[in-house]
Amino acid sequence: MSTVNNRSSPDRSAPLLGVRNLTKRYGSDGTAIDSVTFSAVAGEILGIIGPNGAGKTTLLEAVAGLLPVNSGDVFWRGEPLHADRRRDVLFYLPDGVRPYQDQSAQQVVAFVGSVFRRSKEDITSTIEALGLQPVLRKRVHALSKGYARRLMLTIGLLAPHDLLLMDEPFDGFDLRQTRDVMDLLRHQTAGGRTLILSIHQLPDAERVCDRFILLSAGQVRGSGGLAELRAQAGLRNGCLEDIFLALT
Amino acid sequence: MPSREAYVRPTAPIIPLLAKELREITAGRALWTMLLLVCPLVGYSFVQAVSLYSASSAAALQSPVLARSLSPLDGILVPTFGSFYVAVTLLFPFVAIRVLGQEKESGALRLLVQLPYRTSTLIAAKLCAVLAAWVMVSIPALSALFVWAILGGHLAAPETLNLLFGHLLYGLLAGAIGLFAAVISDNSATAAIIALAVTIGSWVLDFAFAGRSGLSAWLAELSLTQTLRPFEQGLLSAGLVLGIAAVIGGLIAMTIVWLPPGTPVRAKIIRSVSSVLVIAAGLGVATQIRASVDLSEDRRNSFSRADERLLATLRRPLVIRVNLAAEDPRYIDLRRNVLAKLERVMPDVTIVLASERPNVADPSDDYGQIEYVYDDRTDVSRSTSPREILPLLYALAGVQPPTSSVGEDYPGYPLVISADAALLWFFGGLPVLIALAWRRIRGAPPDKGSLVHQGDKP
Repeated sequence: MSTVNNRSSPDRSAPLLGVRNLTKRYGSDGTAIDSVTFSAVAGEILGIIGPNGAGKTTLLEAVAGLLPVNSGDVFWRGEPLHADRRRDVLFYLPDGVRPYQDQSAQQVVAFVGSVFRRSKEDITSTIEALGLQPVLRKRVHALSKGYARRLMLTIGLLAPHDLLLMDEPFDGFDLRQTRDVMDLLRHQTAGGRTLILSIHQLPDAERVCDRFILLSAGQVRGSGGLAELRAQAGLRNGCLEDIFLALT
Repeated sequence: MPSREAYVRPTAPIIPLLAKELREITAGRALWTMLLLVCPLVGYSFVQAVSLYSASSAAALQSPVLARSLSPLDGILVPTFGSFYVAVTLLFPFVAIRVLGQEKESGALRLLVQLPYRTSTLIAAKLCAVLAAWVMVSIPALSALFVWAILGGHLAAPETLNLLFGHLLYGLLAGAIGLFAAVISDNSATAAIIALAVTIGSWVLDFAFAGRSGLSAWLAELSLTQTLRPFEQGLLSAGLVLGIAAVIGGLIAMTIVWLPPGTPVRAKIIRSVSSVLVIAAGLGVATQIRASVDLSEDRRNSFSRADERLLATLRRPLVIRVNLAAEDPRYIDLRRNVLAKLERVMPDVTIVLASERPNVADPSDDYGQIEYVYDDRTDVSRSTSPREILPLLYALAGVQPPTSSVGEDYPGYPLVISADAALLWFFGGLPVLIALAWRRIRGAPPDKGSLVHQGDKP
């Protein structure tokens, strides 16, 4: 498995997605994300890194237009992107969702494939890539956590969008499965797709992501590649965990 | 892995969405449970109705006059569908709530709203699923019609279809209430409470304010129960249909407004206010539309055809001042027997109701009088019967009463029969068939099921 340090860097000249000063407050509970600014360039895997409660899911849902925000803007290739139009260019895969639990995995996959007009070959190859074949006839509520996650990833990969936002895509996988899925995601970016992943397991993030947004208490505490983050943290050889602890 | 560029299209096919919604609604327990509950409910009502109708028919067989009062619409259809109405009121919102509530609770809604469909398309597909569910839960009531026909009972197509249409509108109304309750609630339990508060609350409105005047009468008119009454009398009223359609459309519009999770609540409220105004405008227009068709076979909502032809030629304004309280039984009689019929047939009728109750301590001689003003001529009567009022009107208008038509009388359809054996169908055969269908649908999906819908390949 390749790491961030030995991969060729994506073209950072033209941000695909820009997020500027995004803020979301939940009533008296306080600020979930506070003036978050970052950008994602085409073909990269950008990791939103942070502990539980850092605001990762809120940030992804706000970017996807599924959550009203108090302030801030989202840009697509430099142009403002209204919340209503975000589904045209990006697809968000939420965490902890078992869609249509009384239907079989096959029916759910067929529905999504048909909606996105994917060919039978495309659907079949995606199913095979994620190893979903053994449970296709099972109802979604009967799937194990790992297979439910694979089903969600299948849905995400069938979406034709240039940008995928994935909330905790490796949750529920063991080490080998996690690495397989990482390879699969990396293969997606090789095809031109951009991924923004919310990950709370820092070793996983370090393995798969090109760049990182370190999020803590709703605020960006650092961003960039591993080398840049080491510089920001003043650590020469620290791993992502060390950097995160130093910057947050 | 598949290439993506070829699949980027602005819209998605509707068939997979409809198929998904139908699978969702048939996969849940709510629909099948309701269907199983409706079977004995409708069956018992039907058998009881046939029993009472048969008892009345036994006496009427010897008397043509009595036979004329025996209408299957009143005797069989209304009571049978009455139990169906109760089931739809109390149970159907749960079925409709599931269409949306399940996706909200599981989080699938966040996937659904990202699919390349308009929000209105998503809700339209859900309304189609609700319609399909209504068709399914009406199977026991529809089967009662077949049983009645097999027993030799008479069914007049226009009044039967009109009643079915009324129940269809009512089912869609209950479904729209369920959908809206689901979209504004965090979970299905809350949605159920909201939906039942509306449906049962409207019953309370009906009971509490029925027969009153003024604001109370207007509030009673808002009751859901009122929507079915004209259909049960064989009347197809354009104003009522428009009013129900406006409310259904408004509820659906508000469901569309509240569905996208990314829209701020403030914006949703503002848009909802617009929808409420449109509903109010629709209801306002509906109250002004008098056009209606009497589809009852016994023409209970109409004067004789000869009278209607003559009354339609009286083009000048007719003002009727009714010195009765709205809750007075005489006014209710007058309204049903004369006023409603006059409004349907004459071009310009104004009814002025003196709604004050009579003072018992100081009874007025005027109370109970009905004044008719036509073309500067006035007459007064206390009758509530068209046999006396129509000649009075003809005299005011200076026209000769029409000669009575021959062969227009409703013959009545007495039938002495027992439907006890039908209980086997409603309590045994039909529930077993429903259970088998439920089991088949709940079973494993077919192995040969295609991964893509026919015709959807790019």
